[in-house]
Amino acid sequence: MVTVNQKELIAKEKANNPSLLKTIWREIRHDKLALVSLVLLLGIIITAYSSPLFIDQEQLQRVNFLETWEKPSETHLLGTDDGGRDVFGQLLLGTRNSFTIGLSVTLIAGLFGLTIGLIAGYFGGFVDNIIMRIIDFLMVLPSLMFIIVFIVIVPDYSVFTFVLMMSAFAWFGKARLIRSKGLAERELDYINASKTLGTPSWKIMVFEMFPNLSSLVIVNMTLTLAVNIGLETSLTFLGFGLPASTPSLGTLIAFATNPDIVQNKWWVWLPASLLILVMMLCINYIGQAVKRASDARQRLA
Amino acid sequence: MSLLNVKDLQVHFPIRGGFFRRVVDQVRAVDGVNFELEPGETYGLVGESGCGKTTTGRAIIGLNKATGGEVLFNGENLATMNGHDRKKHIRDIQMIFQDPYSSLNGRKNVLNIIAEPLRNFERLSPKEELTRVQNMIERVGLSPESIYKYPHQFSGGQRQRIGIARALMLNPKLIIADEPVSALDVSVQAQVLNFMREIQKDFGLTYLFISHDLGVIKHICDRIGIMYKGRFVEEGTAEDVYTNPQHLYTKRLIAAIPEMDPVKRFEKMELREQINVAYRTEYDSYFDKDGRMFDLKPLTPTHSVAVHQGGM
Repeated sequence: MVTVNQKELIAKEKANNPSLLKTIWREIRHDKLALVSLVLLLGIIITAYSSPLFIDQEQLQRVNFLETWEKPSETHLLGTDDGGRDVFGQLLLGTRNSFTIGLSVTLIAGLFGLTIGLIAGYFGGFVDNIIMRIIDFLMVLPSLMFIIVFIVIVPDYSVFTFVLMMSAFAWFGKARLIRSKGLAERELDYINASKTLGTPSWKIMVFEMFPNLSSLVIVNMTLTLAVNIGLETSLTFLGFGLPASTPSLGTLIAFATNPDIVQNKWWVWLPASLLILVMMLCINYIGQAVKRASDARQRLA
Repeated sequence: MSLLNVKDLQVHFPIRGGFFRRVVDQVRAVDGVNFELEPGETYGLVGESGCGKTTTGRAIIGLNKATGGEVLFNGENLATMNGHDRKKHIRDIQMIFQDPYSSLNGRKNVLNIIAEPLRNFERLSPKEELTRVQNMIERVGLSPESIYKYPHQFSGGQRQRIGIARALMLNPKLIIADEPVSALDVSVQAQVLNFMREIQKDFGLTYLFISHDLGVIKHICDRIGIMYKGRFVEEGTAEDVYTNPQHLYTKRLIAAIPEMDPVKRFEKMELREQINVAYRTEYDSYFDKDGRMFDLKPLTPTHSVAVHQGGM
């Protein structure tokens, strides 16, 4: 029988084993740089996402020729652009849009890459061969050019189609990564054991194999989040991203194509550039901490 | 009727090479193996590494595909069944794995590991499930709080017990033990072996015990099959094989067991030399011209040896 004393032991044991999330938190807390980054990033994101509460988007987008290229002042914290629109407001809404796009691309591409990678890694052999040849083919395609062509030929593209298009070219790398680790994992006996216990294949993939690869996935996703935000911004900068009516960090930086603006009207493009720099650095430092948390040998905490 | 009847089992792996990765040749990992298991007995498969004993076990449970022959379990052929039909039988055959470190998923706690087979075959409420797992964990001699621990918090012997508990959860009839103790140190080996014997009585299990350790096999097995290069060279009761080995290979194998008694050491050494001489002179009467073993011929009702038709 289970005695009272044993019950205490059971409860203690239940609490004693920290989950991955707890180890990540512990790791971040012990790394000053990562902690500062996390606070800063959270601050930026919360401000950006709550901005629609105090910024009227229609008001912001209204062109006002009386106030073009105004310098930063009390009414316009970061001045105005060529249409007399408030740069600070655009910065907040732009951060929100850019981050949403970066995040959704990471999640969609991550989910898709993970599924394909797990299937290729788990089954191996013939299935793996077919999937890998397809990915090899897709990888040599110049993805940036495809996205640009797509945007040019599709008449009314929205944020949603833009995200889908970017995701369609972002999953190969992840699928490969998961597949290579999965191939090593499937040789281990715990997978064989699950097979002999009658567990169906999809359950083995999702509940046995995936948890063992999860740290890899989290690390990879964190680091590609920064890359995807950058990709969105650079596409918009080149003029092939979001339409100019939708504010994003890229539309603001795109003003820097004009030498006069670069030299004399710094308030239009500089804040957005700095914000991207800060956000990417923050995400990277957090990513490094997460990476260390997933590998017991590298942990600082 | 016998519980398991393996008839002419073959597992061949293709070797690919050349243009378009054509099949150039076959590795005959298991090449025509026959044996029967009676309910309640322990059958030992012995042989050097690479002789196909593990592949035989894996082919029976379905981890490797049998390329030929039959695996009759309760009279039904598992070798040709598809995955769906197989699932009905799979709960009666379970496996204990060699390496207790890689055979348990490090991300799952013991409760989830042991409950996995239950969740596949029985619909139980979490409470019933917990009771079943608690009972089993007590039966294999682990403390009740260990169900919330993770595999890395256990020693090798304890982990192997967890592996055994998982295999027993569905009350199987046949357990394939693939070198269950070879990854453990000697003192723990005895513990686990004795424990396996105990549960054999309690649960009415039949073991197919795969090992390269002749001492372990002698300790636990009723009948023994000696394998070499994917085929049986000799089969018989433990008594038959250890005291009256007939095949040249079996003789060499038995002679290789170290002698504990210092007085008998020289005798043993001479015996070994005799066998070595015999190996050179009598090779042809034990192996055919391709170096392949002959089929098994019965000597006595329990003892059979792979020799040429003409006799010894």
